[in-house]
Amino acid sequence: MSARPATPASPKNVKIKAPQPGQPLYGCEHLQRLFNQDQLTTNTSIQHYKSILRSIFDTTPLIPQTSKSMESQVVTSLTPTYLCLQCPSTLSEEDRTKHGNKKSHRFYVDSRSGSLYCQMCDDIVWDPTIEELRLRKIGTGTFTTNRKRKADDLFTPDPNKDTPQFIATNTTLASCKANGLRGIYNAGATCYQNVVLQSFLHNPVLRNFYLSDGHHCEMPHCLSCAMDDMFQDFYGVENTNGYTAANILSGFWISEKKAFENLVTTKEQDAHEFFQFLAEELHERNGDGKKPEIGSEHSCNCIIHQTFYGKLQSTTTCQHCGGVTNQVQSFLDLSLPLENLAQKKGKKSGGKIPAMALQECLDEEYIKSDKCEYRCHSCNSMQQARRQTTIKRLPNVLSIQLKRFEFKQGRNERAAKIDTPVHFPLQLNMLPYTNRAKAPDGKENYELARSCTYDLLSVVVHVGEIDTGHYVSYCRVGDQWFAFNDHKVELAQKSDVLGARAYLLFYIVRSLS
Amino acid sequence: MSSETGTGKAGVIVAPEGADNMDKLAHSVLDDLLYNIVHDLLIKVHRDEKMARASTAAIKVEKLATDASETPDSKPDVRVETEAAIYEDGKVLLKGNPLKTTKEILCSRCHLPRLLHPTDGKGAKKPDPGVIYCKKHPYIEKPGYDIYGQTWVAPGPGRGKKKKDMVDKKLDPNDANSPAAADGGSAKDRPPNVLSFPSATCSKCKRCILVTRLNNHMGSCIGNSGRNASRAAAQKISNGGSNGGSQNNDNTPPGSQKGTPLPASRGASPRKRDVDEFDEDAEESDPSNPKKKKAKPNAPTKKVILKTKLPAKKEKVKANSMLNVETKVDDEDIKNSTVQVAPKKSAPAKGPSPSKKLKLGVNAKPPLPAAAPKKTKRDRDMESESSGTLSSPPQ
Repeated sequence: MSARPATPASPKNVKIKAPQPGQPLYGCEHLQRLFNQDQLTTNTSIQHYKSILRSIFDTTPLIPQTSKSMESQVVTSLTPTYLCLQCPSTLSEEDRTKHGNKKSHRFYVDSRSGSLYCQMCDDIVWDPTIEELRLRKIGTGTFTTNRKRKADDLFTPDPNKDTPQFIATNTTLASCKANGLRGIYNAGATCYQNVVLQSFLHNPVLRNFYLSDGHHCEMPHCLSCAMDDMFQDFYGVENTNGYTAANILSGFWISEKKAFENLVTTKEQDAHEFFQFLAEELHERNGDGKKPEIGSEHSCNCIIHQTFYGKLQSTTTCQHCGGVTNQVQSFLDLSLPLENLAQKKGKKSGGKIPAMALQECLDEEYIKSDKCEYRCHSCNSMQQARRQTTIKRLPNVLSIQLKRFEFKQGRNERAAKIDTPVHFPLQLNMLPYTNRAKAPDGKENYELARSCTYDLLSVVVHVGEIDTGHYVSYCRVGDQWFAFNDHKVELAQKSDVLGARAYLLFYIVRSLS
Repeated sequence: MSSETGTGKAGVIVAPEGADNMDKLAHSVLDDLLYNIVHDLLIKVHRDEKMARASTAAIKVEKLATDASETPDSKPDVRVETEAAIYEDGKVLLKGNPLKTTKEILCSRCHLPRLLHPTDGKGAKKPDPGVIYCKKHPYIEKPGYDIYGQTWVAPGPGRGKKKKDMVDKKLDPNDANSPAAADGGSAKDRPPNVLSFPSATCSKCKRCILVTRLNNHMGSCIGNSGRNASRAAAQKISNGGSNGGSQNNDNTPPGSQKGTPLPASRGASPRKRDVDEFDEDAEESDPSNPKKKKAKPNAPTKKVILKTKLPAKKEKVKANSMLNVETKVDDEDIKNSTVQVAPKKSAPAKGPSPSKKLKLGVNAKPPLPAAAPKKTKRDRDMESESSGTLSSPPQ
């Protein structure tokens, strides 16, 4: 910390997190003693903790993983090391006790998680003040709350309505049983709707929006109102039986938008189409009123755009004159064709198509460039060009469709389903597919990589043939996965989820949660 | 470093004796990675558990402090000490390690003890009957049952979902109640955790439709398209009037409804609707049932919506299921706090009531006790006729 002598020590005194009901003020008695010594000790401890977190999360892991033993031997280990909170030493687990006895330093930070170990408790302690800093570092990468998150604009507090008294007198607390985990009855071949609704219900961004009274309107048969009702019923009511999504269904039938002209009565439909329909419909109910056009750039601050929409940039480079044209368009989801890649892989392995990985499909679309014919303005003629598409802006919730269908050449030219397994990760790094992938290394890169890290949120699976079958889905609530099959809700293991033949994938950006 | 020993920190993956250095290194790296996975998992579990215990210690000592002080202050000026924590100057200070001092976990919201084992299925333990637990229970993992231990009527004839099931029923015209009996009439015989399909109201025609037929119905009713459109139209012409009378969820005996002349091809459908109507009765909250019946003769051709939100909350004796979710009420009704009869099912047009949803709780409904002792004879009759949607109490 003495590396910056020019800047005087921050005059602001570090404050311990204010006491909260139902929470102890300190992580343990010893930490309480440390924080009660004097303001200076508190300041230096907190500041040192912050700098340790920075070195853990913002630099190459080599630094926090390298410890110096008592015999001045430098060791880099894969397993966690302990960074002393009271001096700049990094210690191995074995040396930690020796160091503590010698220097009377009692607090160490675990190099893998940033959590605090108290030597006197001989246990990890979870102090509210320390833990808040740690979670913020992991989440947004900054210690202050000043930085606005993408979704914050939606939740501007109303000074009148946010007083505790107002909330207390006008609300009743939802039962502990109401946790949003309910099935949805199949209203007759509506499993394609149920899976999408479940993925919306367990989407934290949408949930917060609807549960914080985000939608108001007077429209009859409004789909967004129906969503609102559904969220209330899932999170405010103690029911454990299935939900009957009648309002959604009628709103869907009544909807003026005939994106679903072909969607009649008992026919089974495509969940992806329903997702698009629902997103566009909800955008129209909450957004700027403009129609989301495919192929153009559309910025809107409605809940749907804040949640799902990102931007793609296609760069076309003329092979003749080298001129570059950029085109930006908004996307609701990324559609990844499996057909070509499956064929390519099939040829290599001779017939049988081996399993693919989601990242391979993304590589194919957003890293590799393709050739195309293009009318160059500077050459003023048709030219060969290279076209590359990258992601310009990542959404908060990334939805990916794996196009599991192909059109077989030949007799009937009918579509067939590609049943090839596609492996997808629980944690997805989207940085390579953005237009900032080639950004310089360093501290910024760690922050950038963090802002591009996504966690799997829900998976929609289609079982059966191309024209008939059933949809089921998996959604994550906290760390627990649940399997939804219409009105049935069951616990699911991560292996069930990862082994599923996904059709739609929803990933949520980590820095949001 | 550790490659000399041929294993890493976990000491689980050990290189065989006489392995070369590269082999040893590979083993020790893999072993270290295994250690890290376990370490990360452990940290996560440790965090959840220790924080829950610490907060339990805090809740307990705060409760004692509030009890000890005379004034109902949020920060009473008393000093209370328990085995696990000290309450002083409005602050809670831990004593020792909460993992050692505190054995149970209290819910941070309702302050009731958490049930720590599922009541059924994998890892189940019998809960202490003398303890009132927080309603958030561990989820049940048991084949054939859902996370709440609920199960369903197995698919097959009589379930009423597949066309062929309906045909079966048509062949048995004597049994007017056959769908009802199969769907839920046997509710009494079933264990209380067996669910069956409820009904919902079509927002256009206000008819009550079994949920499994809802999409089909709406397609023809609202969508006015599809191959059923012409049949629906024909059906409306032929029996629209007589069926109109039974559109409210009254308790016309299924037999008499069945007597309605019908085109042969649609024979199954109206009977299906009978079931629906009874289904809905079961779906609606019980306190509403007697009132609903009263209301019916007055408005026989209109859809009745009962709005019982707040009153239902006060009467803790709510029976099997809650108000039909489709008959969602306007927010104002919460304040009105009496049962209202809406002449028509209104669209979900809601006033921007500020009281709503600030904490997702306004619409919260009261707990569902397993049995309703207050139930009248009439209710019971209803119950046996109905297809008992949710955990119908065994009579």
